[in-house]
Amino acid sequence: MNIFSDINFAFRTLIKNPKFTALTVFVMTTGLTLCIYMFSFIQGTMVAPLPFKDGERIRAVDMIYNGMTYQGTSIRVPDFDDLKKRVQSYEVFDAYDIGTVNLSTNDRAVKYTGHYVTENFFKISEAKPLLGRLLTNDDGLSGAEPVAVLSHTLWQSLFAGDADVLGKKLRVNTKPTTIVGVMPDSYQFPDAGRIWLPYTTTGVGVERSKSDYVAVYGVLKPEVTDEQANAEIKSLMAELEVKYPKLNSNTSARVWTIQEASMGDGTAVIILAMELAVGFILLLACINVGNLLFSRATEKGKETAIRTALGAPRSTIVMQMMWESVLICTISGVLAVLISGLWLEQSNRDLLEAFPFDPPFWWNMVITETSIVAAIVITLTTAFVTGILPALKATSGDFNATLRDGTRGAQSKSAGRLSKVIVVSEVVLSCALLLLSTGMVYSVHQQNSIDYGTTIENIFTVRVGLPEAEYKSLEKRQQYYQNIISSLQAKPEVADVSLTRTLPGNWASYENIAIDGVDYGKKPQYPSSNSVGVAHNYFQVMEVNLKSGRVFDSRDKIDSPLTAIVTENFVKKYYKDGDVLGKRFKFIETDQDWYTIVGVVNNVLHGQPTSLNIEKPTAFVSLQQTPKRFVSITVKTVAADASTVVGLSDIVTSVTQKIERDAPAYDVKTLRASIEERNAGMNFVSELFLVFAAASMVLAFSGIYGVMSNTIVQKTQEIGIRRALGADESDIYKHFIIQGIKQLSIGLVIGVPMGIALVKMLEQSSLAQGSLMLYIVIPALISAVIFMAIYYPVQRALKLEPCSALRYE
Amino acid sequence: MKTLIKLANLKKVFSTDEVETHALSDINLQVRQGEYLSISGPSGCGKSTLLSLLGLLDTSSGGNYTLNGHEVADINSKQRAAIRNKEIGFVFQSFNLISELTVAENVALPLTYRKDISKTQRHEMVTAALEKVDMAHRTKHYPSQLSGGQQQRVAVARAIAGNPSIILADEPTGNLDSKNAELVMSLLDKLHAEGATICMVTHDPRGAKRAERIIEVFDGRIVSDSIVNSDDIEEAVA
Repeated sequence: MNIFSDINFAFRTLIKNPKFTALTVFVMTTGLTLCIYMFSFIQGTMVAPLPFKDGERIRAVDMIYNGMTYQGTSIRVPDFDDLKKRVQSYEVFDAYDIGTVNLSTNDRAVKYTGHYVTENFFKISEAKPLLGRLLTNDDGLSGAEPVAVLSHTLWQSLFAGDADVLGKKLRVNTKPTTIVGVMPDSYQFPDAGRIWLPYTTTGVGVERSKSDYVAVYGVLKPEVTDEQANAEIKSLMAELEVKYPKLNSNTSARVWTIQEASMGDGTAVIILAMELAVGFILLLACINVGNLLFSRATEKGKETAIRTALGAPRSTIVMQMMWESVLICTISGVLAVLISGLWLEQSNRDLLEAFPFDPPFWWNMVITETSIVAAIVITLTTAFVTGILPALKATSGDFNATLRDGTRGAQSKSAGRLSKVIVVSEVVLSCALLLLSTGMVYSVHQQNSIDYGTTIENIFTVRVGLPEAEYKSLEKRQQYYQNIISSLQAKPEVADVSLTRTLPGNWASYENIAIDGVDYGKKPQYPSSNSVGVAHNYFQVMEVNLKSGRVFDSRDKIDSPLTAIVTENFVKKYYKDGDVLGKRFKFIETDQDWYTIVGVVNNVLHGQPTSLNIEKPTAFVSLQQTPKRFVSITVKTVAADASTVVGLSDIVTSVTQKIERDAPAYDVKTLRASIEERNAGMNFVSELFLVFAAASMVLAFSGIYGVMSNTIVQKTQEIGIRRALGADESDIYKHFIIQGIKQLSIGLVIGVPMGIALVKMLEQSSLAQGSLMLYIVIPALISAVIFMAIYYPVQRALKLEPCSALRYE
Repeated sequence: MKTLIKLANLKKVFSTDEVETHALSDINLQVRQGEYLSISGPSGCGKSTLLSLLGLLDTSSGGNYTLNGHEVADINSKQRAAIRNKEIGFVFQSFNLISELTVAENVALPLTYRKDISKTQRHEMVTAALEKVDMAHRTKHYPSQLSGGQQQRVAVARAIAGNPSIILADEPTGNLDSKNAELVMSLLDKLHAEGATICMVTHDPRGAKRAERIIEVFDGRIVSDSIVNSDDIEEAVA
């Protein structure tokens, strides 16, 4: 037979067995779809280089503080200046600043995030303005005319796309600024900017401890590897730590891609987890399909033996069998590419809806050429793996013996051993995969239902930033606070109002502290704490419980000794004896006076609900004593659910506008919405893993059932022999259950620790969470499937008379 | 001699959706203890079905079957299993050894289903049975490591290990060459000489003649029941 007749034969065989074909194609399509989707997802979001000429070499340089990496504006300006003088690994080593800017036209004021950038910023991101020009380094020089480049969005919203916008003025933080350019809609580097201003941030003449932080980026020299760049930056940061122990203790830096930086510390672990999960799923699919093909090959043993007897070479028979798996995998591969393409499109839409911000511009979750190549490679590999082993195995026996009745239907010893190995492998993979995927889903469920330590549902929030020039005076800031609180309290929808620097669930400033009386030595390793400024009524409004001492009151004035209220985990971590009232600490960086602890409240969670953040202690300081320009207003509604109060957003916006025209409200939303937006990425990953968990459950359970029951069906003749020799039904059940328990035990002994180890690995990134319940339920479910896979086929075999079972083929 | 088996008007009908096939009709037969009986006939005549009914591997569609004084036609599957285990030893054409078990484990298999036999007793019975068939030196081998003749000898050992009342052999030499076939037949002769009751299905006339009594089946009925004279036996053995 030539190759075409082989394919034709394989095709006819598949058509003749529609159920078998549908089942194998379904299993393989599931595995391949998840694999291709995940490959395209990882490629499109984290791995593919930025779409610029030097995209492969563009890196972010971020601060590591107490072992945790901080992205964005994380490096102190003097540190950046020092590093810039000494780094050797970069063609470009530069910084930009990010700040909230108040924009005012003649009729309105809005607040947006602005990027303060140099010429390099536009150069490496290959920026081309839609109108006008880009910023130059001269624009940042002292005395230069204030200029700005607008985003396409701002151009549309503030100037209705006016083609003559160039040269027009806009007040940026109350300063008249000339518009010199408009960027195209597609320009987003490194994230969705709204307005670009000249980089003027400087460390010159600024006390090191009071200097600003900037975001640092660079273009590596072509010959420099990431390892070399990281080694260099760590070495330079270590020198700075020695030189400035007070400010730079526990600090280092890392060089990584912008894509990695946007995903945070756990990127490598996330990718590894996704790859492992998808690898396991594909392996399960391969085992299942391979097993189905092998069963079919065993069933067709006599046909194979006849072909061999008629002179067909083994290679021809193997090829004929291989074509079946090639056809199954090719059909599955094509379906998988189509389904994963649609799924990726849906994911893009979901992400746009779910994320509180524009997704990074490099995210390109589509089927690319690389995905297609990967799909072809994966499909051919699976076709080979699922086809070759069953084909070789099925053609390796004694064809003469097969032609005689003597061996009909009975499993050979090696086939029996193979079946056991397959069952054990299925149990191992299923157990590890299910523990991993359910651990991830469970983690997000736990995180979403976590107690933030405050009331949530009846809180509405807005953020305001007072203009720097007008609010230099601390008293004026206090006055603003009083005005905003009293004005909002007067509204009938409002039960109470307070202020905070950082809302629950949002990132708080995590600072080094020194405990009074502790000698930190010459190379200090300071402890750290969240620092959150709050109005005096914050604990009452937000329903934070006082555990001991007192809350802030009129004694905590601007000119009285600084006071702080700490959370219970602060006490647990730094005052083992629990005796904390009256004790003192201070924040190292600001180097202010000592703060005296006057009260202890329950733990309040700031940042995403990860184990690291849950453990972080918090010190609340008084906004009366240290008034800040940027605060969040927390409005407690009369209604139990703030989202049901109609028009509250307009009320709060108009009150803030009335009190200070140049401090427009932004981030106007309920506290629940704010928290959910923060967790949107996490929830997206969780939903993805929910699909994984469901798919893995289907594949694992159907696989285990299929392999186990198939093993038993192949032993129908053995069941007949045993019954002929006097075994009754209970003896037969007992025999197979004992066999099943042995395989199950081996599988679980390997699979459970493997699954727990994977969960533990991800626990560090708070991507998964183990639970005794899961460690019991998953093995119990697998055991139940095994027992069902034993019970039903044995029951079916027992329905046959022993003489029929003995003749079973 | 005591009557071990008594069949009265036994019949077997196989029914499909449209067709009823009368595999056996009005079978009347008595087998006495110590008898060596062969059942012969052309392919499809019903001899294997008859053996399956005798061995309680199948249920009859009518008639009575008394085994060792007990009516067994209508007993439940658990009781049938117990009778198969204690009263009947099977030897199949295709040996039907379990490939994953060793020789000793295969022989011990029927004994493991008996609650009244200790491990030590089981070991002794297995050893004795294997010694009888001259296979005691291969206890740890797997069936795939044995020749066809050796496998059938192990199957015979398994059949006699539990001291059954009757040995039912279904074409015991059908898969063997003449030399091995002779070995197995000699083994059955020997067992019979020691007092075993044997009922063997065969369509090998030489093999059939080694029995004391030949039953011929045709179209599901017994058409002949004859005693073989000793000369014929000697001729067959020779």
